[in-house]
Amino acid sequence: MMGQVAALQALVIGVLLVWSSYGKLVGPLVGARARRTALKKFVGEERAEPAFRAVGGVELLIGAVLLLPPLWIMESVAAIALSVGFLGFLTYSRVASPDSSCGCAGSATAPVSWRAFGRAGLLLVAAVLASSADVSWSSLPGLAAVVVVLAEVMLFVAFSPELDRHWLLPLRRLKVRLTHPLAGTAAYDVPLATTQHQLLRSGAYRAVNSLLRSDIRDHWDEGEWRFVSYTASYDDRPATAVFAVPRLRYEPDEIRVAIVDDENGETVYRPSLLPVLA
Amino acid sequence: MTNTLDRRTLLTSAVLGTTATLVGATAMGSLAPETAFAARAQSPEPGAPDPNFAEGRVTARDGSMILAAGSDGRFHRIQLTGGTSVWKLRPTTLDQVKVGDGLYARGVLMPDGTLAAESIWVNIVNLKVHVTAIGKNVLHLDHNGSRIVGHVVPGTSAAVYNGKPAVSDLSMVKVGKHAQVIGAWRPDTNEIDVATIYAAA
Repeated sequence: MMGQVAALQALVIGVLLVWSSYGKLVGPLVGARARRTALKKFVGEERAEPAFRAVGGVELLIGAVLLLPPLWIMESVAAIALSVGFLGFLTYSRVASPDSSCGCAGSATAPVSWRAFGRAGLLLVAAVLASSADVSWSSLPGLAAVVVVLAEVMLFVAFSPELDRHWLLPLRRLKVRLTHPLAGTAAYDVPLATTQHQLLRSGAYRAVNSLLRSDIRDHWDEGEWRFVSYTASYDDRPATAVFAVPRLRYEPDEIRVAIVDDENGETVYRPSLLPVLA
Repeated sequence: MTNTLDRRTLLTSAVLGTTATLVGATAMGSLAPETAFAARAQSPEPGAPDPNFAEGRVTARDGSMILAAGSDGRFHRIQLTGGTSVWKLRPTTLDQVKVGDGLYARGVLMPDGTLAAESIWVNIVNLKVHVTAIGKNVLHLDHNGSRIVGHVVPGTSAAVYNGKPAVSDLSMVKVGKHAQVIGAWRPDTNEIDVATIYAAA
C-alpha cells in the first residue's frame, strides 16, 4: 500500500502546485499581490512582480511534469527543492517582514502563520515520499491508498487559510444558526446610540450645534422622553444644553432643546417654534 | 448624587417648558441655524499640531489633572472640569479615567500649557474588520490579519444595520462579513468592548 500512496503523491503535489501557480500568473492583480509579500523586501519593489511570476512559472512547470507521465526521479527531487525553498522563504518572511502576505497559493492573500509552515512542511514530506515511488499515479491504486491520500488532502485544505471561506466559515455560520450565541442581546431598551442618531438629524441639534462644547455629558429617561445634556457656552457664559428626544419613536422634528445657564439655572435659549408642554 | 438628581430635574423642566425661570426676549429664538452663534475661533496654524487637542496614554493622575504621553512623544497635561464629558464605552464619569488608558481629549489650551478638557474619549477605537467567528456574547474579528476579541456588553452594545437607527439586537451580524466597530479597548490586550457595530444585514 505504501508504494501506491507514494505513487499518488505526484498527483497531490502536482495539483497543489498548479493551483498555487494560478494566483501568481493569472489576473490583473498579480503585481499588487506580489508587492504584498516579503519578496518586496527580498528582491526590491521593482523586481517583486517578475520574481513572483517566475516562482509561479517554476511551480506550474514542476506541477505539470509531476501530473504528466513519464515518471522521472528528477520531478520529485525538484519538488523537494521547491518545498525546502518555501520553508526558507516563509521563515524569512516571518523574521524580516511579519506583516506581509505569504503569497502561498491561489489568489487570496493570507498572512504568514503556523498553518503556512504546516502546509510547506507537509509538502516536503509528500515530495520525499514521492521520490520513493516506482510507478505512476495513474496505475490504478487500491482503496486503502486512496483513503490515506484523501486524509492527506484534507490536511492540506485545513492548512490553507485561502480555503477557509469554503468550509470553515460555513461551518461557523451553521454553528451560529444552531446555537444563537447573540440572541440574548435583543432587548426592549433603546440603545443610547439610537437616541444620538435621531438627535444628530434634528433641527433642534442643528440650531444649537455651534454652542455645544462637549460630547454627551449625561442622559436619563423619564416617561416617553430621553434627556441628553451637553456642556455649552452661551454669550461666553458656561451653560448646559439639554435635549428631550422621543425615546421609543423616530420623530426628529419633535426633539426639543433648551440652554440653561450653569450659574443661575435660568433658561437662556429655547427655540419658539416648539410648543410649550403644559 | 442628590446634586445630579436636582440638576436633572432642573434641566428636564427647562427643556419641556415647565420651568418658571425662563428669561425675557432673548430667550426666544427660531429653529433657524443662523440664530446659533459663531463658534469660538479654533484655527490652528497650518501644519502645526492642533493646540486644542491631545492624545496619548495616561501615565499619571492627580485628582482632576491627567498626565498623558502622546504617541508623537509630546506630553500633555489635561485638566478635567465639571463640564468635561467622558466617554468610556458609554458616557460616564470623570473618575473612570485610569492610569494606562489611552485617550483623545478636546478642549481649550490654557496659558499655562494645560488643556482644559471639554470632551475626553477613553480607549476609543474605530476598526474595519472581518467577523471570523461568533461565540456567546463575543465576536472574533480580524483586523488586517490581527485577531481581535470583541466583547458584547448587553445593554450597551448596539448594532447599526444598513445605516438604519441602532438596535440592541446583534444577532444579525454574520460570520465572514465585513463590519465597522466602534469600541473601547481593554488596555494592553487585543480585546475590546463593542459600543456600536455597523454591518450589512
